[in-house]
Amino acid sequence: MASSLLAWCRSRPLSLTPAHVRQYAKPADANAGDTRLILIRRALYPGNIRNRASPTGTWRPDVRQTIQRAIPSVQAHHTIERAWLLHRRLVRKRREAELARKFECMKRAMDELKKIDSKLYMEANKVEDPRARSKVEMETMKQLPALEARAFDARIRGLFPREMRIPAETPSKNGWNYEWKPIERPL
Amino acid sequence: MSRLARRCERLSRNLATVASDPLPSTSSPRPPRPSSKPILYSSVILNRAPILTPSPTTFERAFYAYQQRIRRALHNPFPSEFYFKQGSLLEARFNSEERFREKVAWGPTYAKEEDLSPEAKAAEQAAMDQMALQEKSDDKLMPRVHPSDEARDYHSLDRKGRRNIYLIIQRAAEDGQLVWEFPQGQPVEDELLHQAAQRELYAHCGKNMDTWIVARKPIGMYKPSIPTTTSTPTPEAITFFFKGHIMAGQVNPEKFVKDFAWVTKQEIETRVRRAYWEGVKDMLSDH
Repeated sequence: MASSLLAWCRSRPLSLTPAHVRQYAKPADANAGDTRLILIRRALYPGNIRNRASPTGTWRPDVRQTIQRAIPSVQAHHTIERAWLLHRRLVRKRREAELARKFECMKRAMDELKKIDSKLYMEANKVEDPRARSKVEMETMKQLPALEARAFDARIRGLFPREMRIPAETPSKNGWNYEWKPIERPL
Repeated sequence: MSRLARRCERLSRNLATVASDPLPSTSSPRPPRPSSKPILYSSVILNRAPILTPSPTTFERAFYAYQQRIRRALHNPFPSEFYFKQGSLLEARFNSEERFREKVAWGPTYAKEEDLSPEAKAAEQAAMDQMALQEKSDDKLMPRVHPSDEARDYHSLDRKGRRNIYLIIQRAAEDGQLVWEFPQGQPVEDELLHQAAQRELYAHCGKNMDTWIVARKPIGMYKPSIPTTTSTPTPEAITFFFKGHIMAGQVNPEKFVKDFAWVTKQEIETRVRRAYWEGVKDMLSDH
């Protein structure tokens, strides 16, 4: 009888309700809280009591044998590293050489244009203001309905168009859009 | 004051020498100058940029696999209680996949055997089957090689997804021969070269293409060498090339365009005339 009384005393939460009131609902466990928040806090703020080798965890227990299994030897590892750096260097040099050739072509073309026709040369060198709209464009925009005008206005001279996509791992399901309808724009 | 002037002079002299230093590629014997003004042509190099990322080479794949194994040997323990709810199906699937990956990395006999009872194994397998059923979707990834690659369809814009492909058209030249080249034409009165390039592209290939001429400046030029034996001085014909990108649509060739093709740089070399190729090859991307 003493043990059951003791169990009853322990089951009641401390300091919440007076003894003469009956308790029917199970009291909420004060330690639970929101487990997700507790987990996030534990992940973001590891303990700073230095009772372990590392607060966020350390290597696997068999790290010595495992790393020896991964790396054949120190010399092999250095050779692989140097081979990689050499490969990257070759790729970089090829890319830089291609850029240099393209720039050389462009420079030669511009020099020739300067010799031939200085007016065309000056026009080619003009920097386009992305905010500017030519008179022809303003006139056409006035005639178009609102949505078409926005589509018309979207292609800004001197800036990359939005429709240029970056390469992906796999092509799109529908493939290339062959049924594109043109938007009339002045040259 | 005089020291400053001398320093300015030295600086300007240094700059002058840098500017006038001739590069070996441009030094060539000057051809006989024609008497009349040269005829200008505007041409467009229309590029479909790569749709797919480049495939890693065998060496790159081997190196990445090597580095991944080293990371797997050294990494901090994975906080699975943060990423997965304890006891969930997802966690069970992750654990079994991770055990498989460890076997693949270190060999099947390396790790000490997990003491999973056959009932636990069966339960895990059932959980994974259920997850597979729930997550089944019809979204399959498209293969990187398009059917038009196998079919050698040179009109297709889906071919050679990893490469830069360019538009060349076939037209009848003056001597009646069919010749492949980039679409070109002459600018009209008061027209700028890049505007002429865009107009000529529309004239040759129709307007059903979403194209963008990148800049007002030409990216290169081609000057066919004039035979010196002609008595009458013929004017030079200089073609200026402009870079363009195509984002959508397809070529709708006019009557005088016999054929068109979307080809890589190496395929252009086999189609185009030798002298033209020598003039044009440095403007194109290798990959």
